[in-house]
Amino acid sequence: MTIIIKKKESLELLQGNEAIARGALEGGVRFCSGYPGNPSSEIIDTLAKAAHSLSIYVEWSVNEKVALEAATAASFAGLRSIVCMKQNGVNVVSDFLTNLTLSGTKGGIVLVSCDDPSGISSTNEEDARPFATLTDIPLLEPATPQEALEMTRWAVELSEEIQNVVMLRSVSRLSHTRSNVHMKNLPDFNTKACFDISTAFHTFPVVDKHKARDAKLVKASQIFEESPFNRYVGHSRPELLVITSGCASNYVVDAVGILGLKDRVGILKLGTTSPLPVKLLTRYLSTCNRILFAEEIDPFLEKEIKSLAGDLAKEIGLKEFMGKASGHIPSCGELSPGHLMEVLGNLFNISWKKDEYREKISGLIKDAIPPREFGFCPGCPHRGSYYAIKLALAWDNRQGFVSGDIGCYTLGIWPTGFNQVKSVHAMGSGLGLACGYGKLDQFGFDQPVITVCGDSTFYHSGLPAMVNATFNQADVLLLILDNSATAMTGFQPHPGCGKTAMGNVTDVVDMEGLCRSMGAEVMVADPYEMEKTAEIIYGLLQKRGQRVLILRRKCALVQGREGGFPYKVEIDQDLCLGEECGCNRYCTRIFRCSGLVWDNQVGKACIDKIICVGCGICVDICPQGAINKTIK
Amino acid sequence: MVSEKPEGQGCLINKVIANGLCVRCGACVGLCPYFNYYNGEVVVIDQCHSDNSRCLQLCPLAEYEATTPLYQTKVKEAPDIAIGTLHEIFLARARDRELRAKGQYGGAVSALLIYALENGLIKGAVMTDKGDDLAPKGMLVRNRDQVIACSGSRYSGSAALSELNMCLKTGMDQLGVVGLPCQMEALARMRRMIPNGVAISQRIALKIGLFCTWAIDYRGFSTLLNTRGIDIKAEGYDIPPPPADVFRVKNKTGHDDFSLSDIRPLIQKGCSLCQDMTAQWADISIGTAEEKPGWNTIIVRTSVGAEIIRKALADNFLERDHFSKKGLDHLNAAAANKRLKGIKAKRDLDRSHQ
Amino acid sequence: MPLNLIITGVGGQGNVLASQILGRTAVRHGFKVTIGETFGLSQRGGPVMSHICISETKNYSPIIPPNMAHIILGLEPLEGIRIINEFGNPETTYIVNSRPIHPLNVIAGEVEYPDPEWIRDVLAQAGRTLFWLDAAQLAMDLGGPIMLNMIMVGALCALPGFPVNGDQIKEILPEIFSKKAIEANLKAIDVGGGLITENEN
Repeated sequence: MTIIIKKKESLELLQGNEAIARGALEGGVRFCSGYPGNPSSEIIDTLAKAAHSLSIYVEWSVNEKVALEAATAASFAGLRSIVCMKQNGVNVVSDFLTNLTLSGTKGGIVLVSCDDPSGISSTNEEDARPFATLTDIPLLEPATPQEALEMTRWAVELSEEIQNVVMLRSVSRLSHTRSNVHMKNLPDFNTKACFDISTAFHTFPVVDKHKARDAKLVKASQIFEESPFNRYVGHSRPELLVITSGCASNYVVDAVGILGLKDRVGILKLGTTSPLPVKLLTRYLSTCNRILFAEEIDPFLEKEIKSLAGDLAKEIGLKEFMGKASGHIPSCGELSPGHLMEVLGNLFNISWKKDEYREKISGLIKDAIPPREFGFCPGCPHRGSYYAIKLALAWDNRQGFVSGDIGCYTLGIWPTGFNQVKSVHAMGSGLGLACGYGKLDQFGFDQPVITVCGDSTFYHSGLPAMVNATFNQADVLLLILDNSATAMTGFQPHPGCGKTAMGNVTDVVDMEGLCRSMGAEVMVADPYEMEKTAEIIYGLLQKRGQRVLILRRKCALVQGREGGFPYKVEIDQDLCLGEECGCNRYCTRIFRCSGLVWDNQVGKACIDKIICVGCGICVDICPQGAINKTIK
Repeated sequence: MVSEKPEGQGCLINKVIANGLCVRCGACVGLCPYFNYYNGEVVVIDQCHSDNSRCLQLCPLAEYEATTPLYQTKVKEAPDIAIGTLHEIFLARARDRELRAKGQYGGAVSALLIYALENGLIKGAVMTDKGDDLAPKGMLVRNRDQVIACSGSRYSGSAALSELNMCLKTGMDQLGVVGLPCQMEALARMRRMIPNGVAISQRIALKIGLFCTWAIDYRGFSTLLNTRGIDIKAEGYDIPPPPADVFRVKNKTGHDDFSLSDIRPLIQKGCSLCQDMTAQWADISIGTAEEKPGWNTIIVRTSVGAEIIRKALADNFLERDHFSKKGLDHLNAAAANKRLKGIKAKRDLDRSHQ
Repeated sequence: MPLNLIITGVGGQGNVLASQILGRTAVRHGFKVTIGETFGLSQRGGPVMSHICISETKNYSPIIPPNMAHIILGLEPLEGIRIINEFGNPETTYIVNSRPIHPLNVIAGEVEYPDPEWIRDVLAQAGRTLFWLDAAQLAMDLGGPIMLNMIMVGALCALPGFPVNGDQIKEILPEIFSKKAIEANLKAIDVGGGLITENEN
């Protein structure tokens, strides 16, 4: 059950993503789609829960492009829809999006991009906002969960009014923030889906459609002049004007408050950040000659407004601009109140740092605090998979390596995965790279390459690369790590699971069958059986052509919810060699499961009973047979 | 591959493995999880940070000073010639026809082992199996059929000592081992190994060393077989004496011959450094008898070896013949030749590393 | 003046749920609450922080400004001490669970986990008050390690002057937990509260 299905008005603690979901519902959205991606996943997760009680449709699509296309069909049929993704998803939809925004839409359709500044849970740090200017569509940036709700609700209507996609951009610190949100009433859901066959949605003639799109943008710009989402707080003639948007605006407000600069610094928070409301900006740019831009991640507003200021120079005069270009605001990474306090403190010569306290603490602590590295959960099948891969590549002895992909198994680049993975980029890229490696033998390349790919990733974008490998006869060895889950993002279902986002039973897309149909030799193994799996991998490494090994074993967290593991694991410390030759603490130093720890008192390994889940696979790695498992 | 730690396993990796000098004796495998032997290769699985590493102490190529064998044990005084210290040298062969047919030349190795097993002189012996889809590897045998299944020379490094290490780990004693000169040296180093080298060595009751000029890399050889379209399981191998210039692979229906010039590129690089053709650290060294086809040359080196030979001869398991002076001179010359080549190769290697 | 609270711990300790329960209770009783969180990749054994700001007047930003945390609740000692420099100040109250969760590099023998007694000592010097609680053992007594976060929430609510109390939290719990789990969690709140009142005496 989710709070967002409450029909009547109420005040709740909502997460930014929940607020977006609620805003979509209040805006009359009926069709919701997306692909899991941190920090966006909760939007569709929440809507999927709401679908039990409301007349809406929610799906996890196989990838973001299909998600947008499917939602667009609803729009063409007059329904309102929402599509949600992280910043990388916008890259995936871009081809369709650049065309869709030319053909225009019918029912309101909102594209939500949740960006991840600092790449806290991403392979990159990317600002999706430039896609709005690239495709000439309106862009909204909420600063709080309350605004996220209101903007989403409004975005749906705006999209329907201008007959084009509207983009809403959030960031992790907004999407995952919870705060007080006022929910309004839910409308009645009763539009009939219908495609008006007297109309058509295409992009021809291209130039005319382009001009029409520009005109829609002008209309949006006029609407934005009056938008309550653009707010100014401060003196009518401030000493410094800060132009900010999104979650970063909160840090500006905090910093100005703490430093006592309310009367000296004006804060213009923009919510409608493209197209820019020119009249509004002209007004405020005229009030001050020093302007600081505070935004995440790219200098997006900074560049657009500097360009605008160039056009308006005669009217508004020359300005001193500060921001990322000038180095006042860091060019990379997410912002925080500290960053704003730093720049404002410098500009206004206010000292605020607790240097004395920090020095005292540094003196006490020095460098005694070890970092905490990421690791696979106890019982994770990926640990077994990478261990088997490590063995097989060592036995093969030809400097083989792993081409990686996105998911929990990305952690294979670190010691938890025995540092096996040597490249990670975008969804499905590991396989694409493999197609290339698989053709380099004519240039003397003699190193075997193992590609790993998760089950969800495989369906998302691995398939075209597989087809390519067949078509172009590339030697590819693919290990599909099938843990029956899209685990990293929160266990959303995918085409191999047999269940949809809304909980309906569905056909499983047969992974083995798919691979075989492409001419691959397909085998299945259990990554818990590490030595056996290593032997299978070794055998496959000696062959050529397309080979697929599916390593199938449930995610440990899923298994934990479904009854857990059968074993109680213990260590016989009398048998344990500890650091001596013959072991040198192999289990803790190399295998590195957090349930298997070191007893400093006696210099031997021991099981952490609180953390060990009882999967029992560590039994096989002890050279002394000191680790035992018994049925619980 | 360069290890972070200069002592212990790291030193072994830097000196031997990184330079491609490993001869796959297997002494470093089975002591710990950091080395494996798989399909003809000794590989590093992970890097160990221990300072006192047995692998480094045992490796015949690492030249760890503290375990370098200085003298044969349990030996009578004897002149030191190119073939090492000895009690006696003569020709011998198995009495049993089947053993002569299945074994190499005279089947003396098989006969001795079977004799020792059946008379309780050893509880088990580590030999090398014939390999199947994977390369030959060490195998513990306990009876005649198992000995016969492992009979015949492999001519490739197959890490049989890894099997010995596994047996020693389980506490076995009264073990026999058949191995190449490098493996016999590793066992001699084991006597001085810390910890427990003496105690562990005492559990090895019989060491039979095989004459050896070189051994090949099995994986490379496997590739050669594949490219020639040969995939019949090998029953045995032979290198007929000069002027024949072939490496013979025997199978159930016949044999395939390879020119030695095709085989020489597959010789393990570490073999070129070896100075020991006749396994000077064994209790008994056994090899071909060029002057008498179908017989073996037997060198008895220690009193342990002498005792078993005496019994086997007395019980008519083996028959013996005289080893001619000409034969001895020939053997000495060949052994001296290998020694000199080894010395030169070592000098060249040291120079190239400066 | 807003109350700035940071809950810090290791991924999987129930940080996020604890902050959600606190936040929902505070909203029900008329407060403006902002909870900022880091989760995602951090859930795989990495550090997880929740920044909670409770105010009578407005919603503040989701990241607490430098050195302005009033209370730091550490579900794990190393994580408790990790953030002192950036967010602590001489007036901070620390409530920290004493049982370590060893990071993988400590387990592997590459670095040492600092002596928990040393951590306790530093925390005691770093702020105004330290409550060093053996909550992990109590969690095991109540049914398992997952009970830790509710015990710590109970402790938090027993602090004098904290805007919500244990009873108010307990009213909210049935909305979060199933019938099976509710009993133990209600008890956990009381157990945690008891730890503070004990310590104060």
